[in-house]
Amino acid sequence: MDPVVLSIWILRLVFLALLYWFLWTVVRVLMRDLRAAAREPGAELGRLLVLASPGGEPAVGAAFSLDAVTTLGRDVNNTIVVDDDFASGDHAVLTYRGRAWYVEDLGSTNGTFVNGDPVDGIAAIAFGDELQLGNVRLRLERARR
Amino acid sequence: MLTAGPRIHPRLRRRELGLLAIAALGLTVGSVSLALTRLAGADDPLAPDAGLPLADPTALAIYLGALFAAHGLLVLTGRRTDEVLLPTVGLLGGISLLLMERLPQDLAGGLGLGTTQLVWLVLSIAVITVIAAFIRSDAWLRLYKYTWAAFGVGLLLLTFVLGREVNGQRLTLAIGPLSGQPSELLKVILVIFLAGYLSENRALLVEESTRVGPIRLPPLPYLAPMVAMWAIALSIVVVQRDLGAALLFFAVFLLLLYVTTGRASFVALGLLAFVAGGAGLYQAVEHVQTRVDIWLDPFATASGAGYQVVQALHAFARGGILGTGLGAGLPEVGGLPPGGIPALHTDFPFAALGEELGLIGVMAILGLYLVVIERGLRIAASAADDFRAILAAGLSLVIGVQAFIIAAGNLKLIPLTGITLPFISYGGSSLLTNGLVVGLLIALSDRGAQPPPPPTARRGLRRILDRGAP
Repeated sequence: MDPVVLSIWILRLVFLALLYWFLWTVVRVLMRDLRAAAREPGAELGRLLVLASPGGEPAVGAAFSLDAVTTLGRDVNNTIVVDDDFASGDHAVLTYRGRAWYVEDLGSTNGTFVNGDPVDGIAAIAFGDELQLGNVRLRLERARR
Repeated sequence: MLTAGPRIHPRLRRRELGLLAIAALGLTVGSVSLALTRLAGADDPLAPDAGLPLADPTALAIYLGALFAAHGLLVLTGRRTDEVLLPTVGLLGGISLLLMERLPQDLAGGLGLGTTQLVWLVLSIAVITVIAAFIRSDAWLRLYKYTWAAFGVGLLLLTFVLGREVNGQRLTLAIGPLSGQPSELLKVILVIFLAGYLSENRALLVEESTRVGPIRLPPLPYLAPMVAMWAIALSIVVVQRDLGAALLFFAVFLLLLYVTTGRASFVALGLLAFVAGGAGLYQAVEHVQTRVDIWLDPFATASGAGYQVVQALHAFARGGILGTGLGAGLPEVGGLPPGGIPALHTDFPFAALGEELGLIGVMAILGLYLVVIERGLRIAASAADDFRAILAAGLSLVIGVQAFIIAAGNLKLIPLTGITLPFISYGGSSLLTNGLVVGLLIALSDRGAQPPPPPTARRGLRRILDRGAP
């Protein structure tokens, strides 16, 4: 067989094989990435990130993992204790119902605000929205996966 | 701009480097294979491409140099971003370069097909790199979504009015010496607008207040933009006769609606609207009718309207499983000699690759598009808020759906529409906007600063030594 024809044949197959080697390597990277994500402790529904907190409790930059029901206020029995002069004992409750988040004001003295708008009774809140109780500002974020 | 932020520490990207090395090796082997095939065919006047010049190795060298330079810049900026997208897209672009070098060069005026494509590919890599390295905030996209939407609609109207007709489609907009296809840019604007709108109104869209028989719908005012979307897609078909863009826009819109709300009923409703609109258009618009008739039976008009599709099917058949090898196919353009496919470099690169790389090669290329989609959805799943999540999902789906529409059209799986195969088709508008999409995806994948390593317990000898120390 003509050596040129033969080498062209081999090169063609090597080219195709290299395409698949690339794909194989990429898929291995993707699988490793997915496994690492699955190993991380999950099952949180969302996160609350503290943006501003003059009182120091909660600390600025802290992130709380959220369950379906999270209560906020000055009382020590709340899920997230907000130690601020303008926060009430039982200030607000954050709930996850069906597919969306809601925040309910529990009749606080100084009100609860979503993106600066006062919450009248209950209001929908989306990921990325800002929640304010007294001087404490928090942001709702998606769960880390 | 750089001095304002925190200090920049270079960070190695080993996976990216490894993948780039494999891609570069593969492309080099492909280039050698192409050159040898031509060399062997040069003596034989009956060989399919005897008249073509030999491939120039400098083009591939410049392209690979640009890829590695992009990698170097990303290392220097030190962000913790995705490391898979650049090599994947780089490999697709390299395959495109090999294909364009091997086609007759007179398809593009001026520099010739291969060189022009090289210039656009390098510019596209530059766009990816600059966006991936320097875009940190998404506020400029998030805050001005209606401005972006207005800009998009304006661009569309401008094309309706001032567009130049090429091959019976009014797609190209020329302003002075610049010309481009706005529908390419429009798809990015559409995704940005939808991400802004859907993330803002997610809670309301999930709510069910309107009931039509068994189907529950969100409050009516929030359906208006959806209906507007449907109308825009239809008007693109009627006025521009651009089936591909309309199909792409509507598919991406339905997918994002599903991603946001998780409701299959919306998708079902959208598909019903699509079928109704499609049936109506088939009756009303001649262009649509021709396309569907060609799809149903291209052999009825094999030497007329169905010529392209029939030749593409023959090309796939010639390729078989392993393909004829790079440079050994018959993709002469313009119909001479018989066996060529008109508009091969823009609309039928998938058929040319099917002939020269075979079923195996085409499957690998589809696999590369799947990788892009997987990465995009993964970036979406780990995004910090809804806007970024929907944006990432939309950007990757735009590339995936577009690749599917044109590949399936080439294979006669769905009616053929003239959109480009991302990163492979010839054309500046397409390459630059897809570069923009991938650059944004990489920027969105930023995982922020590296968290400090967890404190490790000091064990064994170290602990005893530390305790013993004064």
